[in-house]
Formats: sequence, C-alpha cells, structure tokens
Amino acid sequence: MKKIPVILDGDPGHDDAIAWVLANASDFLDIKACTSVCGNQTIEKTTYNALRIMSLIGLDVPFAMGREKPLLGDPMNAPSVHGQTGLDGPVLPEPLIKPLAINSVELMAQVLDESEEPVYLIPTGPLTNIGALLLLYPQLKPKIARISLMGGGISFGNWTPAAEFNILVDPEAADIVFRSGVPITMAGLDVTQRALVFPEDFERIRALNNPVALVMAEWLDFFYRFHRTKGYVGAPVHDAVAVVALIKPQILTMKELYVQIEKTGDYCRGMTVADRFGVCGNPPNATVIMDIDRSAFIDLLVAAASYYGKEVR
Amino acid sequence: MKNKPIILDCDTGVDDAIAIMLANKISQFDLRGITTVAGNVELKKTTSNTLRVLELIDSHVPVYAGAAAPLFRDQVTAGHVHGENGLGGIHLPLHRTVVPNLKAWDVIYREAVHYPGELELIAVGPLTNLGLAFLKYRELPSLINRIVLMGGSATMGNVTPAAEFNIFADPEAADIVFRSGVPVYMCGLDVTEQAYYTSDDINQVGALQSEPAKFFRDVTQGLLSFSLDFGLPGVCLHDPMTVLYAEDDSIFETHHVGIHVETKGVLTQGKTVTDLYSDKKMEPNAYIVTKVDRKAFQSRLFDLMASY
Repeated sequence: MKKIPVILDGDPGHDDAIAWVLANASDFLDIKACTSVCGNQTIEKTTYNALRIMSLIGLDVPFAMGREKPLLGDPMNAPSVHGQTGLDGPVLPEPLIKPLAINSVELMAQVLDESEEPVYLIPTGPLTNIGALLLLYPQLKPKIARISLMGGGISFGNWTPAAEFNILVDPEAADIVFRSGVPITMAGLDVTQRALVFPEDFERIRALNNPVALVMAEWLDFFYRFHRTKGYVGAPVHDAVAVVALIKPQILTMKELYVQIEKTGDYCRGMTVADRFGVCGNPPNATVIMDIDRSAFIDLLVAAASYYGKEVR
Repeated sequence: MKNKPIILDCDTGVDDAIAIMLANKISQFDLRGITTVAGNVELKKTTSNTLRVLELIDSHVPVYAGAAAPLFRDQVTAGHVHGENGLGGIHLPLHRTVVPNLKAWDVIYREAVHYPGELELIAVGPLTNLGLAFLKYRELPSLINRIVLMGGSATMGNVTPAAEFNIFADPEAADIVFRSGVPVYMCGLDVTEQAYYTSDDINQVGALQSEPAKFFRDVTQGLLSFSLDFGLPGVCLHDPMTVLYAEDDSIFETHHVGIHVETKGVLTQGKTVTDLYSDKKMEPNAYIVTKVDRKAFQSRLFDLMASY
C-alpha cells in the first residue's frame, strides 16, 4: 500500500503521545521526522518526552527540537493537565536517539525539500514550528500537502472561555498557518471533547498486555484523573483526532469554513473565529471536524495498541 | 399578585414592534414606559415607529427617546434586515408625534427610584441607554430587580462571525451592563434562533383579522423571505421571545454563568464571552438562556396576539 509522508510535531503531552502511538501503528503513514514544540511543558521536557515515546514505540526517525518559546508571546504550560514532567504517569524507557544538531524548522524544511511528493504535517501542539516554517521557507509551501492540526474550537475554548490551549499559546503562529493558503484540517474542541475514551476502554487497551498498550492505558488513567474533576466522563484524547483525520476520515463529520485567529482582545486572544453564516464573504480555508464516531475511534485506538503485540491467552 | 413594573427599551424594528404588541397584552406587566435607542434604524425612526405601533394597539404608554448613537462608536444599522423605515416598508399612521422631554436614562432612574428593587428592564436593542443610565446614576444597579436582554450569543454571531448585532452595535455599553452587578438574563442567538415563526405560523396569526394581527403578518413578510433565503425555517422572533422570557421562564432552559463582553478584539469585538461550555470558569455574573420549547413559545405568542 502507498503510504503518505508525514511529520509529527508535538508537545507531548499524554494525548500527543497517544496520537503518535496511533500514527506509528498506521499502514497509511510514512513518518519522515518528528519535532518538538513548547506547550504542555517547557521545550526541554516536551523534547525529552518525545524521545522517550519514540523509544517506547520503536519510532526511529530524524528528530529535532523546537524553540524555547512561541513566536512572540511568553511560554505557557499546562502542568495541571499533564503533570510536572508533561507526561506524568507510567515509567518510560530512556531515549534511544539524540536530537539532530539542526532545529525543528530546519528539519521540517529539509524533509519537505527532499520529498518528491508533498508532505502532511500533523501538529498537535502550539503552531510555533509550522508558523516559523511558513515564514522562513515560503518557497516550500507547495511541498506541504495539508496541515492536520489539533487546536482551536469554533464554539468555545478550554484554557480561556474563548480560546483553546494550543492556539492561545501562539496565536501569531496560528494566524500565519490559517492565512497560509495551505489546506488545513482542524481538529478543535468541537470534536476533540467528543473523542472520549471511557474507563472501560482503558481496560480493553490494558488487556492487550504489550509494553505500549500498558503504558497507553496508564497515560489514559492519568489524563482522565484531571478531566474527571472537570466533569468529563472519559479522557478526551484531543490530539489523536488530528491523526484520525488522515488515516480514517470516514469516521469524522467535517465542515468547510473560513476560520480566522483573534490575536488581540481582553477575552478572545487565541480564539478561532469561524464564519458559519458566510458574513465575511471569504471562501473556506479550513476543513473543521465537528464530530466523531466514538466507538469506531475506540476500535481504532485498540487496533493501534495491538499493533505493538498481543498476548494470546 | 402585584404587576411587575417594566421598562421596555427598544430600537423598533420589525421584531421590536411585535415585542411591544406582546408586552402590551401581558397582564402581569405594569409597563411604565418604552424607551427608544438607535439600532436597527436611526433614533428618529425607532422613536416614531414605537409611537406608530402604540397607536395601532391604542396604547398610551409613554415613550421616551434615548441615545442617538453608541457611547464611543459610529452607529451601525440593520436597514437591510428591517427595511428602510425599520418596519419592513409597512406604513402605520402616526398622530402622536411629541414625546416627553425626558431622556431614556433619566426615566429609567426615576422609575427605579419609584419601584426600588422591583423595576425590570427589558432591553431588546443596543444597550446604550442602559449604559448611560448606569454611568449617570451610580446607585442605580442596587435599585433594579433584573435586566432581561436580547443580545449576544454563547457560540456565534450574526453581524460578524463572533458578534450579535445588539452587542456589536455598542460593546462598551454592553460591558457596563454586564459589569453592573444587576442580574442580567441574556436571550442570545443560541435560543432566539429556536424561537422562529414559520410561514404557516405567521398566517395563522394573520387570520385572526384584528388590525394588530394583520400588521404582524405584513410586517414579518420581508424578514420571512430574508430568513428563508438564509436557510432558516422561519423568522426568528428575537425580541418577542425575550419579552415572553421576562413574563414566564418556565418554557426555557437557563444557566447561571460568567459573561463578559469583548470590546477590544479585532475579529471578536462585541462577542459575549461565556464559560458555559468551557473548562475555564469565570465568576458567574449573568444568566444565559439556551433553550426554548418552540411549540409553547409559538402558542403563547399566538394567544397574546389573539387577545387583540
């Protein structure tokens, strides 16, 4: 089967980690490189986490580290959600590979430049790297097939009432991305808060009893502990939806919309503003995912976890 | 039961006109006055339209003109929605052309002092008059029972992707209102878009044959075709629904939430930001109405129109 080339760019993070587990297990994706970005935790921590995840899942591809802060704003982290390490919970293997000497944006540019066909980018953290890539290497834009991102929400936020965390951390980078003209698929809170993994689903994954599945179940345990306090009945695995959009879009409901990024405001900085009624008169610039077939999503996660080995009982 | 002292603040307007006709027939309302504000059309028209509607229904409720422009901004109007004259091109006779020489904000204060803790404001236009009342009279918030307003939305806009017309027209005034400390009940697009009247519903009222009922039918025609073109199932009766909410909230779903008005965003000014659906919570300062039993709304409105 022909695979599509992708770059995974994230700030792991429990849901980034699960997104990468899913991507690595897929027959549809040819992972060309991974990069880190600061977001859920500092760049040192997300980098260390990324490398430990790659080591756990046997993902041996070039890796480069992102910058220590957003394009213009100050760094912002989410220890309440992901813990002090950014990936609290299970013990992980130490990294097997080292970051390259070049930075994340240089690595992305190199992969795009060398690829014969356009590459898909899957950013699951703030859009700092992608924004910088578009600013610094505008000539490579045609080499980006699509950006399938987790971020935003056209109806509400989570880190502020109006803004979702990834976009809030670096609204300027997000603005560059949404204005770029590159095809965008947006997995925002509208869908990702419905991408709920219930405690009984954790057990389906745990029962697979392979090293990745066991860790994944513990990540879900940890991630759910925080979300339960917010009234969730499961763990919303936000970032995995950005991967699902490329490997199994048929389980998603999507809408073509014109989406802009609010960069200012007392309450709305970082909001993804969608023109649902066409009052702006601009053509759509994003495919916004609105819903997911939850049980098909769970089956997909379980199948991905079983890729890493299944215990025969 | 003692009737509730009410001031209706409006920018008449097709749906404001209907709101006035309903308010006039709600027996538990003691309508102390109608104040007018620039909004859907210019102040001169919103005032004369209000007088025309009152003449049609033979009401002598006093009308007081208010602000001719938003606090800090240029006026935006919605003539494309409500017609050049604000009443969908329908011409109602007008004999009472003079209104008392008392400004809307002064009359709000006067009535609040007269009915301390009881007065309810129903505001269905831009909130300029209320904003000015709060700016001028510092003790006013403690005298008002509550504000029921049509404006804003939890999730979407209509005049811009993020903002609803009434709040967008004067965001700073809205900000003053939401910060006033008075309980604000917000009937935004989330719920008013559920409060629609189909073509059949409108004709059912029209068939009542009273002059107000025929006016109801005629004045909504322009808005009906505008709405149907837009893909809506009928005319959203934003302002009438808000009046009915003030009468009886039992057919509605309401949540106590934090609501603040964005006054500075480039894309979002005039957005009512609420924590209703967000993990991030704010101090609750308002009530947002999210659902209405459309059938019950439709029949209550019909019954009130049938009482003409």
